[in-house]
Amino acid sequence: MNLYEHTIVARQDTSPSQIVQLTEKYSKIVEKNEGDVVQTQDWGLLHLAYVIKKNRKGNYIHFKIKGNGKVIKELEKNESIDKNLLRYMTVRVKKFDLEANYFKKNEDTVNKTQRKRY
Amino acid sequence: MKKKRLGSKKKTQSNFAKLSIFQPNKYKFKKSCPLSVKGAPIVDYKNIRLLKKYMSENGKISPSRITNISQKKQRELSLSIKRARNLALI
Repeated sequence: MNLYEHTIVARQDTSPSQIVQLTEKYSKIVEKNEGDVVQTQDWGLLHLAYVIKKNRKGNYIHFKIKGNGKVIKELEKNESIDKNLLRYMTVRVKKFDLEANYFKKNEDTVNKTQRKRY
Repeated sequence: MKKKRLGSKKKTQSNFAKLSIFQPNKYKFKKSCPLSVKGAPIVDYKNIRLLKKYMSENGKISPSRITNISQKKQRELSLSIKRARNLALI
């Protein structure tokens, strides 16, 4: 069994209900292939650094998956066909840090501190 | 004249030159790597604020001789910067 971090970027005009559908769809695929979703994070709508397929923003969804390499193969096969997605990436890690969420916490604190400074 | 002398000293820098009192301070001390210290932040492709510190404004990776990062950490940095680029985070 390996530990994977899996991130997908969806189009900017996907509705919140569609995003929930996407997360359910891919976590089902993981469970079918004897994998286990340890954690899901919704990073929300973020600005892309460069334009991808005429999209300026993207919805980021992050999975932490425990399973064999077969799971990832099946996931990426389905994601490459999906028209709602712009990018996907998997990284194998040795250890999960389940506490750190760089995107949700930071947004609030960063904005507040920046406003104070100026 | 003074400038010329300094230039020649740089080229022939022996151990004695480092110890001499007349040398400026920058030869005596060497900065340590800011990411190898105890309690340093973990290099990760999700930690954009950390990665942006070690990049130029144009998005290039800055060389380790300027940022004083150890060879091992520089390799980690460059890998995670490239991962973040692929996800369009940077």
